[in-house]
Amino acid sequence: MKTATFGFAIVIFSVCSAIFLGQAPAPASGIGNPLGPMVSGTDFSGSYRWLNHQDATLFTAAGAIADWGGIPLNDAARLYALSWSASRLTVKQHQCMGYVPPYTWMSPGNHRIWEERDPFTQRLVAIRYWGQIAQVDRTIYMDGRPHPPAYAPHTFAGFSTGKFEGNILTVTTTHIKRGWLRANGAPQSDAATVTEHLIRHGDTVTILAVVNDPVYLSEPMSKTSVLARQPIAPDAWLYACDDSEQIVGRKNDYVPSHLFGQNPFVREYAEKNNVPLLGSFGGRETLYPQFLAAVKDTAAAEAEAKAKMVPSGPPQSSRAPDPTPNDGNIHVFHVGGNVYMLAGDGANIAVQVGPQGALVIDTGAGKLSDQIVAEIGKLSSKPIQFIVNTSFHADHVGGNKKLQTAGADPSLMGSFFSNQFADAGQGATVIGHQNVQTRMQEQKPPWDTPPSDTYLEDRRRKYHNDEAVEIFPMPNAITDGDSIVHFRRSDVIVAGDIFTTTQYPFIDVRNGGSLQGEIRALNFILDRTLYQHDEDGGTWIIPGHGRVTNEWELAEYRDMLVIIRDRVQAMIKNGATLDQVKAARLTADFDVRFGQTAGPWTTDMFVEAVYTSLKNPPQSATAK
Amino acid sequence: MRFCRSSLVLVLVLLGSLKGHAQGRGGGPPPAARAAAPFDMTGYWVSIVSEDWRWRMFPTKGDYAGVPLNPEGRKVADSWDPAKDEAAGEQCKAYGAPGIMRIPGRFHITWQDDQTLKIEADAGKQIRIFHFGAAPAGGADLQGVSKAEWEFAQRGLGRAIAGDRGGPQAGSLKVTTTNLRPGYLRRNGVPYSSNAKLTEYYDLVKESNGDTYLVLTSTLEDPTYLTEPMITAAHFKQQADATGWNPAPCAVR
Repeated sequence: MKTATFGFAIVIFSVCSAIFLGQAPAPASGIGNPLGPMVSGTDFSGSYRWLNHQDATLFTAAGAIADWGGIPLNDAARLYALSWSASRLTVKQHQCMGYVPPYTWMSPGNHRIWEERDPFTQRLVAIRYWGQIAQVDRTIYMDGRPHPPAYAPHTFAGFSTGKFEGNILTVTTTHIKRGWLRANGAPQSDAATVTEHLIRHGDTVTILAVVNDPVYLSEPMSKTSVLARQPIAPDAWLYACDDSEQIVGRKNDYVPSHLFGQNPFVREYAEKNNVPLLGSFGGRETLYPQFLAAVKDTAAAEAEAKAKMVPSGPPQSSRAPDPTPNDGNIHVFHVGGNVYMLAGDGANIAVQVGPQGALVIDTGAGKLSDQIVAEIGKLSSKPIQFIVNTSFHADHVGGNKKLQTAGADPSLMGSFFSNQFADAGQGATVIGHQNVQTRMQEQKPPWDTPPSDTYLEDRRRKYHNDEAVEIFPMPNAITDGDSIVHFRRSDVIVAGDIFTTTQYPFIDVRNGGSLQGEIRALNFILDRTLYQHDEDGGTWIIPGHGRVTNEWELAEYRDMLVIIRDRVQAMIKNGATLDQVKAARLTADFDVRFGQTAGPWTTDMFVEAVYTSLKNPPQSATAK
Repeated sequence: MRFCRSSLVLVLVLLGSLKGHAQGRGGGPPPAARAAAPFDMTGYWVSIVSEDWRWRMFPTKGDYAGVPLNPEGRKVADSWDPAKDEAAGEQCKAYGAPGIMRIPGRFHITWQDDQTLKIEADAGKQIRIFHFGAAPAGGADLQGVSKAEWEFAQRGLGRAIAGDRGGPQAGSLKVTTTNLRPGYLRRNGVPYSSNAKLTEYYDLVKESNGDTYLVLTSTLEDPTYLTEPMITAAHFKQQADATGWNPAPCAVR
């Protein structure tokens, strides 16, 4: 009988609930899906501080050089860390770098967690986190939404979703920028995914974080941090950071680093703390109890440590997944303002839309041009009016003909020029550096639809679709005909192959490319970018290949190329041949992210391009 | 509408009584600790030494960074003499309950009986016994007396009246250890006293790749040597078998 009564009561309760709650659909709130899954679990809301009873000297921005014991760094990561110089922090883009999860938990400032509930359905749509140090602003979506596509931008906080598992909140985070496992050179790559398990006992929250980083870790790194709840909410939540000139007069292509095997500070930590050097270098073996036995033979351990200071073993290919959607479809992503990125057919395509015709940057490989035209048609009711080619390479101009034919340039029809060209205004106008036109016409047979509207040295300016558009030639970078495009109101820069997130720059020495010109072009872009806060947001950059970024990733790319240049230059200075430079594996710390051992653009080819262009720089690359 | 409200009250009352039943308060003896366990923590576990690596792997005298020692505690730590410990046969002072779980090693967890959980550590060949229900009286020793209880979700003064979707594995193991003989927090003479009280929470975490971790949050209160409770965490990865199990005697250095 009790069961029957209970069942009846449940029915009544459900009916009542429906009466109370079953009203018109609630309007969307600011965050999350108001009708997402109903979840409940431990309430973590409150203000916290990180407890430094463990890892006391290892809070964010701390840690001695080569204090990496207990971090499963792989060989590439260790080389990266050994090459890192603390003076890197004087470089503008590094001064306000953010912190990534899970390292953020170890920041010595205040931490705050609160729930975001839909005002009408009261469903838990997100758990929010604010960290004072670097003003980390995280949203952990609890509404069951998927993670963004791989070509979407990364941030230092990443993109997080959560679920309750018993009394534990499990958070999965992707789309994290390259950051620190420890801010003493130990890197966490932008391919890392992080799982955090939050456990609350009274006023203590323990976080077990597991970092899966195929690029820089030899096994997942698991680590706990402890937060203590503060009964009185502190009144200190900001972290004012603006970069500034640290060293006046320094060239913008200077990036402090140590050559392999020449870091003078490598033994300081180990000697001061009576730790074996091998242990201080980290690695998966240092995580386990048996490591204590492994270092009992001090001579062997020292020899092994020394061997780890320089590259060894076979060359490595990138372990980062390619964010390009190679599924036979064109994917459209809104970047900022009037500008969209179309990915899926060779090089990325940018489209600016507005009251005038669409302005399209690059046309892809030409395999999916019909889809591209169709997608642009969805973004703009006006025809494609202008096409800009940032390069003559086939993956940038392959769709020129179809896109040009599909468009029209009404600015020419009925103009003075229409008297001189019978086809004036028929089809879009194709714009590019003169050398793009020249190279396309030099092909045998000549390629279709080269730029008809060309420039040589100066920027090309347009005011189109209610914004200023600047096209800058970048001499002798990837080729001798590269350009970048800056949409000033949308604040989006289309970098072409000057910058990719997927590989070393395809420096085409035979067609006028050079490392020096490439570095100069990257610095040119950095002179035009801003970040919104702590190297997040601000000016968006569409790379030639890969995902949308802001200036942080481009600065890191610049840093990498400067560091590789300095290493190769040092060997050239000592009379090294190309084969000797290749054998030295001077890119070993970056190969796991950008290298290839096979395919159209291998690490060997890149190193050869670097070596050749340093030995015989094109005139323009040294003139400015 | 009045009908709806009264029904709602009825439902709440019934829900409350049902919950009481589920936790053994409605009559009959509570299930044995082993049967009531919200998760299974038996098996072999290995320390993942990613926290306090330097202090756990290669502790040196006078390095008590992070430990909220008071002046007396620092004095004791600074005067630590490992030779004296060896001469006195006190090699195991760092292997007591407040220190043993942070010493790099492997742990074998079994049910000694339905009310007693046993943790064997290969480092120092130590054994900890967790008593559910009444703990036996005993003299002070390195492992003290540990009283254990499962702490399920929704403890505290308030209770959720509906919408508890925490799932089946909503609980932790809470262990309170007292009656300790003085020892060291680290293998470098950082002291705790016989007044120390250790509270531990054990939680089980499963990763999507199949890895299983035991997460331990420890709070050590020791008015003799600490200025505030010392709260730390450690974690252990589950092993499929006894691989690496290497019982070794206590070592001072």
